[in-house]
Amino acid sequence: MSQIYILCVEDEPEVLDVVVRDLSELEEVFPIEMAVNAEEAREIINEIKERGDKIGLAVCDHVMPGQKGVELMIDMQKDPYTERTRKLLLTGQAGLDATIEAVNKAKLNRYISKPWDPVELLRIAREELTTYVIEQEKDLLRYMAVLDIERIQEAIRTKGSISDS
Amino acid sequence: MSTKKDRFPEWTKTVVGLVLGGVGFILPLIFQFDGLTFAGHLALGIFLMAAVFWMLEPIPIYSTSMLVILLQVILLSTQGPLFKDAALPQTKAIEISENVWQIPATALDGSTIHLRKKATLSEELNVEVLERGELVLIRTDQITAETVIVADYNHKLVGYEPVSYTRFFGTLASPIIILFLGGFMLAAAAVKYNLDKNITNVLLKPFGTKPMFIVLGLMLVTATLSAFMSNTATTAMMMTVAIPIALQVSKEDKFRIMLALSIPIAANIGGMATPIGTPPNAIVIAALNAQGLGIAFGSWMAIMVPLVILLLLVAWGTMRVLFPPTVETFKLKLESAFDKSGKAFMLYILFGMTVLLWVTEAQHGIPSGMVAFLPIAGLTVTSVLTKEDVRSLPWEVLWLVAGGIALGISMENTGLAIWLVSSISWDMFPQLVLLLVFGFVALMLSNFLSNTVTATLLIPLAISMGTSGIGGEGFNLVITSLVIGAGCNIAMLLPISTPPNAIAMSTGFIKTPDMVKVGFVIGIVGILCVLAFAALYWPLMID
Repeated sequence: MSQIYILCVEDEPEVLDVVVRDLSELEEVFPIEMAVNAEEAREIINEIKERGDKIGLAVCDHVMPGQKGVELMIDMQKDPYTERTRKLLLTGQAGLDATIEAVNKAKLNRYISKPWDPVELLRIAREELTTYVIEQEKDLLRYMAVLDIERIQEAIRTKGSISDS
Repeated sequence: MSTKKDRFPEWTKTVVGLVLGGVGFILPLIFQFDGLTFAGHLALGIFLMAAVFWMLEPIPIYSTSMLVILLQVILLSTQGPLFKDAALPQTKAIEISENVWQIPATALDGSTIHLRKKATLSEELNVEVLERGELVLIRTDQITAETVIVADYNHKLVGYEPVSYTRFFGTLASPIIILFLGGFMLAAAAVKYNLDKNITNVLLKPFGTKPMFIVLGLMLVTATLSAFMSNTATTAMMMTVAIPIALQVSKEDKFRIMLALSIPIAANIGGMATPIGTPPNAIVIAALNAQGLGIAFGSWMAIMVPLVILLLLVAWGTMRVLFPPTVETFKLKLESAFDKSGKAFMLYILFGMTVLLWVTEAQHGIPSGMVAFLPIAGLTVTSVLTKEDVRSLPWEVLWLVAGGIALGISMENTGLAIWLVSSISWDMFPQLVLLLVFGFVALMLSNFLSNTVTATLLIPLAISMGTSGIGGEGFNLVITSLVIGAGCNIAMLLPISTPPNAIAMSTGFIKTPDMVKVGFVIGIVGILCVLAFAALYWPLMID
């Protein structure tokens, strides 16, 4: 059974810890991987890929030493393996140009500005993962309890992915 | 790094399943079982393999059904390599004196000889054996010097007249499958145009805002819809209604459990209410049809609906005791917005007409399978359903049932089913005990296996007990089959018991012990109710 990961990329370790803590409710079903820069993020992506697992959600800071968050996301969008990954930019300092680029080239799904509301971050992450699972997965039941139950039930109803036996 | 996964168990389960299934298939080819025909051995191999595959699921259950049909076509059909050009070896008896005949030793099967009626059909005749040895002398007044006798009683055609391969393939187009297809298409259209949701919102209104009445309403509506739609789709739809209610109560309130549990239970029970409610019904009806014991759509409902209502009340009462609500009232958002497009109206008309014609089958005499073609053709002719919709129908369920029906054919006509049940003298037991055994075994198996598979494995046994007379005096084929069907449908002990249970469990609102408690009560009380119906009510409904 392959796993769906959440990838968090943030250069400040304290902030990274807070992001992971805010998303910890999801961790039981969607294991969280952490990276402090784009390079490490790439390594982790490759590791996850080699294991045959998937990345459902990437939560990414923009301003980081080395490659910027938006550039990482554009690369992820170009790679078929991470194309479907839901992409969330969590930043205080992305300028207008970088943001436009993120929307147009990285097909950014969400933008949350720092400082953020933990409840809101969790809600958005849950929504995005729900979308990912409904679009990409066959067996929705595994993920239902931590996601938007109503939307998943609705997807089961309309897709007819489960039938009587 | 996160937890390392272990792929080993998944892989071993598949291999163990495949190997055991293969062993099951080969066993009857290696060992000779007394009293079982050659074809019966082949059918036993297919039966054992299918049973293992259906139980351990190394391959999906519908592909097991397809494999069953493939093996039957190859091994048991007139056109297959084993029976192609096969003919019974013939000989004639030589009259020694009056009514005393000399026959080859190979023609005598115990104290029976086989009369050759056609190249592939023989008939048993009991004779008195006077002398055994190389020359066998028998006494009978039933044959003449012209009677053609089967020269070798061990021949593969003795006791089995092969059927055409079209018979096995034909199961996929049998009236009961077409009936289900009609139901599937109506349900798919209902989902597409949100008819199911709108009906739910209308039907739930009279149940007010008190928790226990809301649950009762949810259960009655779920059961009603699942009688015509798949139990699974109904559960998913009703969950979208129940979850907003559940989110209004605190996580500690046991009322959440009741809300989430009431829906799969009602969906499972509601599936019994009509022939198209759930696939095990198809197995029951197809087997009875093959014996010329058709049950009209409306008659099935008259037989089953009272039981459904009783079981719903039992479940409701049980949950009321186990998970008493603390909340007083609820806000329910019940806004129905019926689709008013032309296509939607086409659907409403076709839906109404079809259901009306189904329930009045006994009055107008048009078989329900024929009526089912009204929505099949009607919904596509009017473009209510498109090519994509037709593609996304649950075709695999139809294959699952078709394979089950096909296996039943071979279990009957190879003598396998009779052979399996004949080791026990069933006529020693009172009929009620026999029904209890069948119902209980169905309930037990079905808690762990697919309901359809359970019905597939058990129904041929009941049929053969009825047709052979092994069941004893007073054995009623229809009632026994209905008991098995009901036993399959009231099994809802575990999350794996039925897909609706799995769906409800995945919400995280319920813990397995909650489900087990209610499922246990429904199973035990259910079987007792079924037996009471079988003893008191059903005999009145069946000639």
